[in-house]
Amino acid sequence: MNPSPRGNTATSAFARLLETLRPDLVRFAFWLARDRAVAEDVVQETLIRAWKSREEIKDPAATRPWLLTIVRREHARLYERKRLPTVDLADAEAQGDPALLASDSSDGEAGLDDLRRAILQLPDEYREPLVLQVLGGMTTAEIGEQLGLTQSAVLTRLFRARNRLRVIYGLAPTEDVE
Amino acid sequence: MSGALECKHARVAIGGEPQVLSAEVAQHVATCAACAKFHDETLAMEGRLKAALELPLHRFRKLPEPARVAPRRFALAASVLLAMLVGGGAWLFRPQPALAGEVVEHVKHEPGSWQVHEPVSPEALAAVLAKAGVRYDTRFPVTYASPCPFRGHIVPHLVVQTDHGPLTVMVLAHVTAEGAGEFSEGEYHGVVLPAGAGSIAVVAREGQEFDGYVETLREGVR
Repeated sequence: MNPSPRGNTATSAFARLLETLRPDLVRFAFWLARDRAVAEDVVQETLIRAWKSREEIKDPAATRPWLLTIVRREHARLYERKRLPTVDLADAEAQGDPALLASDSSDGEAGLDDLRRAILQLPDEYREPLVLQVLGGMTTAEIGEQLGLTQSAVLTRLFRARNRLRVIYGLAPTEDVE
Repeated sequence: MSGALECKHARVAIGGEPQVLSAEVAQHVATCAACAKFHDETLAMEGRLKAALELPLHRFRKLPEPARVAPRRFALAASVLLAMLVGGGAWLFRPQPALAGEVVEHVKHEPGSWQVHEPVSPEALAAVLAKAGVRYDTRFPVTYASPCPFRGHIVPHLVVQTDHGPLTVMVLAHVTAEGAGEFSEGEYHGVVLPAGAGSIAVVAREGQEFDGYVETLREGVR
């Protein structure tokens, strides 16, 4: 176990970076797939691909969006390859996801699970940009690039996502736009 | 409505990116009480929205294991793990295989460790143990000593020479074993058993005697 010091340092740094980012990748994959097992599989494939292509990353700051892109692709690829059925929320809960969404005092705030359920029920086209923005920290321009949408379309989807979630906060949805 | 911008368009902008308002939207919000209220409400939602999206992943572990990926993918993952371990990286892929499997995987990927016959110096051995934060004494010659990442910790990966051939010893101070568990995985067999505050893994080639050495090796853990 004596790799060259320089290569070893870079490799270790990249491994540490992946380890740091992994939880958010699992979260992102979960919100995409709405299934924890699929999310774990997607992230596993993502990390394998990322590791193989690690030379492509020159700027560590670019790693996160790069990995999110791979997660999206792997998620799509997995569904295409396995022809997985889309996840019905009731089925997902029946298969064990209630444990994920059950009340947990560690959340520190009651009602987060209701919010999670509401997020799960958002259409994919609204949920995905919302997760990319809030969890992934992406700008609307970056999300547009990821999803192949105009910035205006991204804004509209994000608005609609939040507008649907307003009821969870006891707020009335506002007027939508055409 | 206030100013040139219609409220419904201002609200799309606010709902789309509540924390970054353009000058035009900000101006509208400053002069439209209803949209200012909408902005405040939307901003107030953001903290909990982020908290909701940041799923408590520890809950994943409360669930029964799902059907896992096909063996080919595990094999591929293992090859990547090898690269990461060799690079001094961390164990990234979860759920992890059973402890014995992880130990064997680790040993398999350092085959050269059993080819070394010259004892490592006491200083080198001490350095490895110190790096792992472990105290370990053995009367057997140690011919390989490496501080290896394992389950997120640095552990001493040692090879000791016995009359029956080399044995790998991994001192897993951070892994609790309920009792001794023998295993046989492909060309390897061995045992994981409690030692000190943690555990110790002893691995031999299939068919190689190791039972007679285990207790002595375990007693070396301080």
